[in-house]
Amino acid sequence: MAKDQAKAPRMLFGNKVVVFFSKPANVILVVFFVLLCMLTLYPLLTLVSETFTVHAGRESIATGQKRGTLSLYSFKKLLFTLDDGGEQGYKSSTSWIQFYSPLFNTLSVSLLSSFLAILFGGVVAWLVTRTNIRFKKFISAVFVFPYIMPSWTLAMFWSNFFKNVNVGPGTSNGIMAAVFGIMMPEWFVYGFFPISMVLGLHYAPFAYILIGGILRNMDANLEEAASILKTPRWRIVSRITLPIVMPAMLSTLLLVFASTMSAYAVPVFLGSPVRYYVLSTKMMSLMSTYKGQGYIIASVMIIFGVVILAINQSFTGKRKSFTTVTGKSSQISLVNLKKANWPIALILMIVLVLLAILPLVSFALESVIIKAGDYSLSNMTLDFWIGRNLDYLDQGDANGILFSPKVLKALGNSLLLGISCAVIAGTCGVLVGYGIVKRRGTWLSGAVNNLSFFPYLLPSLAFGAIYLAMSGKLPFINGMFALILIGSVKYLPFASRSGINAMLQLSNEIEEAAVIVNVPWWKRMTRIIFPIQKSSFLSGYLLPFVSCMRELSLFTLLVPTSDTLLTTMLMQYSEKGWDQFGNAINLLIIIVVLIINFAVNKLTGASIDKGIGA
Amino acid sequence: MKKILSIACIIIASCAMLLAMGAGETPADELTGVAALARDGEKLTHDQLVLKASDETGVFRVYGNTSRITTAVEAFGKLYNIQIESSNLKDSEIYEKLEIEIDGKINGADMVMIQDGAQLKSQMVSTGNLVNFVPLSVKGYVDADDQNPLVQQYINKLFIWNNKGDSVKNFTNVWQFTEPEMKGNVIFKSPELEQVNMNFLIMCTSDKWAGKLAQAYKNLYGKDIDLGSYKNAGYKWVAEFLGNCTFIKSDTTIAEEISQDTAAGKAGLFVLSKLRSSSVLSDNLTVGEYRAVETGTAIEPFAGFMYPMYAMITSNATRPYTAMLFIEYLMTADGFQPWGKSIGAYSGNGSLPAKEGDLPLSTWKDCLVMEDPDFILSNYEDVSSFVIKNL
Amino acid sequence: MPEIILENITKMFGKTAAVDHLDLLIHSGDFITLLGPSGCGKTTTLRMIAGLETPTEGKITIGDRVVFSSEDGINIPPNKRDVGFLFQNYALWPHMTVYQNIAFGLENLKWSKPDIESRVAELLALLKIEPFSKRYPSELSGGQQQRVAIARTLAPNPKVLFLDEPLSNLDAKLRLEMRTELKRLHLSTKATFVYVTHDQLEAMTLSTKVCLMKNGIMQQYAPPLEVYSQPANLFAADFVGNPAMNFIDAKAACRPDGSVGLKADSFSGVFMPDEKFKLDCSDVVIGIRPEFIGIHDEFQPGLQGLDATVYSNMPSGMETTVKLKVGETILTSVIFRGVDYPVDKKVGISFLGDDILLFDKESGLKLVSGSLKTE
Ligand SMILES: Nc1ncnc2c1ncn2[C@@H]1O[C@H](COP(=O)(O)OP(=O)(O)O)[C@@H](O)[C@H]1O
Ligand SMILES: [Mg+2]
Repeated sequence: MAKDQAKAPRMLFGNKVVVFFSKPANVILVVFFVLLCMLTLYPLLTLVSETFTVHAGRESIATGQKRGTLSLYSFKKLLFTLDDGGEQGYKSSTSWIQFYSPLFNTLSVSLLSSFLAILFGGVVAWLVTRTNIRFKKFISAVFVFPYIMPSWTLAMFWSNFFKNVNVGPGTSNGIMAAVFGIMMPEWFVYGFFPISMVLGLHYAPFAYILIGGILRNMDANLEEAASILKTPRWRIVSRITLPIVMPAMLSTLLLVFASTMSAYAVPVFLGSPVRYYVLSTKMMSLMSTYKGQGYIIASVMIIFGVVILAINQSFTGKRKSFTTVTGKSSQISLVNLKKANWPIALILMIVLVLLAILPLVSFALESVIIKAGDYSLSNMTLDFWIGRNLDYLDQGDANGILFSPKVLKALGNSLLLGISCAVIAGTCGVLVGYGIVKRRGTWLSGAVNNLSFFPYLLPSLAFGAIYLAMSGKLPFINGMFALILIGSVKYLPFASRSGINAMLQLSNEIEEAAVIVNVPWWKRMTRIIFPIQKSSFLSGYLLPFVSCMRELSLFTLLVPTSDTLLTTMLMQYSEKGWDQFGNAINLLIIIVVLIINFAVNKLTGASIDKGIGA
Repeated sequence: MKKILSIACIIIASCAMLLAMGAGETPADELTGVAALARDGEKLTHDQLVLKASDETGVFRVYGNTSRITTAVEAFGKLYNIQIESSNLKDSEIYEKLEIEIDGKINGADMVMIQDGAQLKSQMVSTGNLVNFVPLSVKGYVDADDQNPLVQQYINKLFIWNNKGDSVKNFTNVWQFTEPEMKGNVIFKSPELEQVNMNFLIMCTSDKWAGKLAQAYKNLYGKDIDLGSYKNAGYKWVAEFLGNCTFIKSDTTIAEEISQDTAAGKAGLFVLSKLRSSSVLSDNLTVGEYRAVETGTAIEPFAGFMYPMYAMITSNATRPYTAMLFIEYLMTADGFQPWGKSIGAYSGNGSLPAKEGDLPLSTWKDCLVMEDPDFILSNYEDVSSFVIKNL
Repeated sequence: MPEIILENITKMFGKTAAVDHLDLLIHSGDFITLLGPSGCGKTTTLRMIAGLETPTEGKITIGDRVVFSSEDGINIPPNKRDVGFLFQNYALWPHMTVYQNIAFGLENLKWSKPDIESRVAELLALLKIEPFSKRYPSELSGGQQQRVAIARTLAPNPKVLFLDEPLSNLDAKLRLEMRTELKRLHLSTKATFVYVTHDQLEAMTLSTKVCLMKNGIMQQYAPPLEVYSQPANLFAADFVGNPAMNFIDAKAACRPDGSVGLKADSFSGVFMPDEKFKLDCSDVVIGIRPEFIGIHDEFQPGLQGLDATVYSNMPSGMETTVKLKVGETILTSVIFRGVDYPVDKKVGISFLGDDILLFDKESGLKLVSGSLKTE
């Protein structure tokens, strides 16, 4: 005490530093600032440098230069080769076909799918939070399924369901054609429309969660005030509810837009058969041939992401003013749907069953038939699940997946990866959330906030590619460690969002009351802050887990072997055409994720919607 | 804010430049390390190899872009009591991984089984990343052309079509696949996804095959080919063939799909060995060249294409002798068994016959388009741009 | 017990100063109120003393220890300042029972288990919340929560206690009750209390000294009765006292006898200052507390000071607030008995006593107090 005083005059600057770092929030922010710079900005630099470099293989052959040479070749070829179209003009030039047309397709798909997601998710959110619709519990539980399932699930289901001999490869009929005899036209089965639909449906739960969160937190008095003034319902919705949730909707729109842009599996399944290409599919094929051009596409996607982040921030800035005042859960008077209740509930249930449950049934079915398209009992077997010594099938594995050491090991790895990433990202999310909220308004807090959200905007595939490139320079980044590292960084945004939300809901005084009585920082975290916001924080653990379990593009380039993880194994099987095993593994992934999600939800109250919802 | 942004841009750009410049490197010329061992290893007998290999420790790692490598590896591991990890990867993944592992001196694969001769040559052989090894015991049985790099086996992709329905068309000329009625009915794996398919298309534009294609055109339609703006008949065929194609992501799926009862009128160009699969209704399929042999009318001018699968040692192998032993094993009847047990795979070891019912390697070499890495490399940029525009 | 000294304390939020060069001396055992309208920087000041907020500039001493000094780079964290803090929203930990809420701090101070038990029991009894010790905060009413929060704050026997508007969330009756209890607690704990409120009545009734603030600047620092009778400026005069003081604009001119001639819109008078002072302005404001306006029931024109009519009449039993119209000016008067004047009744009024104030209109500062006679 007296010591402090005596030393003070001489240690002015030193003291300031000591004082600065005596606040745990500052320590956290500085540490994460440095870490995140290393883990996101450095990779970004690597990426940019790769676009100026000649790579081995095709590029080296084409330029006649050694790999590693600086060159603008990739830029010229991908972006500025508009004159080799011959008679057909620029529309058949390399740049147009390889870049501009896929770019256009990407933008159209993203635009339509994010609108669909908002529309569908928003309507369901409104129905669930603001009306007396029936089966609310069921609807809100099942509606998030598509988001938990791997994104290609719906795509596979769509093509299995609607394909017929008149469209695409046209070799076999799907359920729609075989059972109902309805031949859907090509635009419905492949290309722009189904890709947008499937992506829209996949991200609708995301929109539902975000918009639902806003609607739930919105002070119902605002609507009630209007209804007392005898405003008709639709007018309340259009003049009060909508404008209030509009900023949140726009922000959701942008987030969904960013996600759909980098979606890879869906356009591959539904676009490639009719030569409909988007940036991500082009990037993937370029990554194995002309890497430099692949990296340019990755950079373009990141630029879009950053622009979106910037726009989004201007929205959320406003959004805060609408929604931060929460906590008082005033009684909401629900809209009475009256006679429309049953029909609407029924339609919604049917749609949900189609979206969330039928795919699972179809995977189960596809995993037990031997020859494709033949659904007779004689063509069925459980061998793909529980068989042993299946040499007669001559497919990837000699055992059914439940007895296959390979599959079980991959399951173990996937779980290990998911849990590790969840623990790391989740914990970092809590800390980052704490630091950011505590030091709100400071430059450092803003910087860490943006940095921690940044990985969300990096297309998974590109991110994986960058880490692969980095692992060449930093050899310790390999194997399981590399996967855990990249998974944790990539899903930090989810966790830090949860962390920030949780901290924002917690008044400062709650912690200060403990500070005053000399509770050390870690004890405040573990005994006060975490327990109070347990379910919100844990939601920040759940999302990275779920995402890791179903992630493919992020890991595909980094896995030591494709047998390492369930998803990479699944993709390999699907590429090899071992569809029954593939379907079985897909179902296994979904079931594991659903069970864990459900268990965590029941045990701790954490849920995915708490994680991303505001 | 703008200022900060522009400064950030400058920093990023300059760092990028620095990073890029640092990435250059020079390949070594003299034979050292694994390359030297492999050269000397070519003089060792089987027993000597076994002895040397048994001195090596650690995990033996193999990458291969064939799924059956697992079976071969298991048998080999059991035979010599060696701990082996094998990974079945796509060819592009293998090239990518090898490059990073060898450059970064990361302990990775010891040995690879890989396709795409052009890329192998430019990226791996000329840089010394992969080392060739021909086992003494089989040297005499391997075609001289197949020795450097060593061809472990050949794999063929053939024109195969569905024979269901009343009006089954039997194809005798590749130009038939370009006819308007086949639009969307020819199924192929995109050359963007598998380089050997791209290689095949490039080879079609070579003088040799362009000439044959022009002749085949004349034989089919009785008139000279009108090239229009195409450089030669090869380009024209490639463009029109791709124009009729539907792309499916895997050869297995192509086989399954085409074999469906509902797939009448569909044809495909895919790996013959896929017919082995129990999920393929092979009875519904006609293999062009088999029929040709039966009827005596070959498909003009080619029945498909064929490409080698190479077996090589990595220059950073930690178990080089084990790799040599494994390569030797792969060249024996036992080692080839996982592939040789069904049609569509032909060992580089000439003393091992093709599967019963299949045609011998020499016949295939005559009627199929083969890879010429040098031609592919020198025309890659030009033709692949052309191909991509037609996808 | 420690004295608290604030020297030149400033807190900037961005470009605005929440607290502006504040000097404050708090003696040990004092009950100080920080009083002022909402947003004037009271909470900020309190939080800076407690160490929850870092001042931009200045020096804070508690007892013989400098706890903050911007010059010397000293900033002792709040937990080392030995203070208690009662938060406006109570900040009870929702996941702990009442007992745990009170005991948790003691556990951290490494008290022994029996000590903790007896101390918590003591506090539960003191604040009359024994029956609720097993309940969670959400199961308590506002008043009960308030008591728990007080108990939690008092538990470690802090020498200095900070209270941030502790009563503002309570209903009127409870507030009155708790006010008494706080005063009693102050006496029994003998701790120094620093109390934030925007309610002048609370400040008047509770504190030994009031620190009146406006826009981050201290207006007056004095015992409540002094603030009441000798407000330092117009703001202080207006803020303290209910009903508020009457302000009448007037032109002033010194007279040779030391008195001041005043000319207002509706009357003119002569002001006899209590002490000598120099008048260097002509625009002044006369400040008259309502109780210093006497009303004469029987209307006798021109006789008893000024003529006025009753504008409105609000009897509350013990006292009556009467609004009077003098010319165009409305004045408020309080009489300490219940009367019921009919509206528009004509009455006579006069200014009583020698606590009538003169303020400089331009600077707002108090010039002098004295007595006022109409002419
Ligand atoms: N954390 C903060 N950031 C920015 N401004 C603040 C902050 N806390 C308080 N202020 C501002 O400082 C001024 C004083 O606030 P405060 O001390 O809370 O007032 P009060 O007297 O009502 O307790 C207000 O104008 C308030 O808006
Ligand atoms: Mg306050």
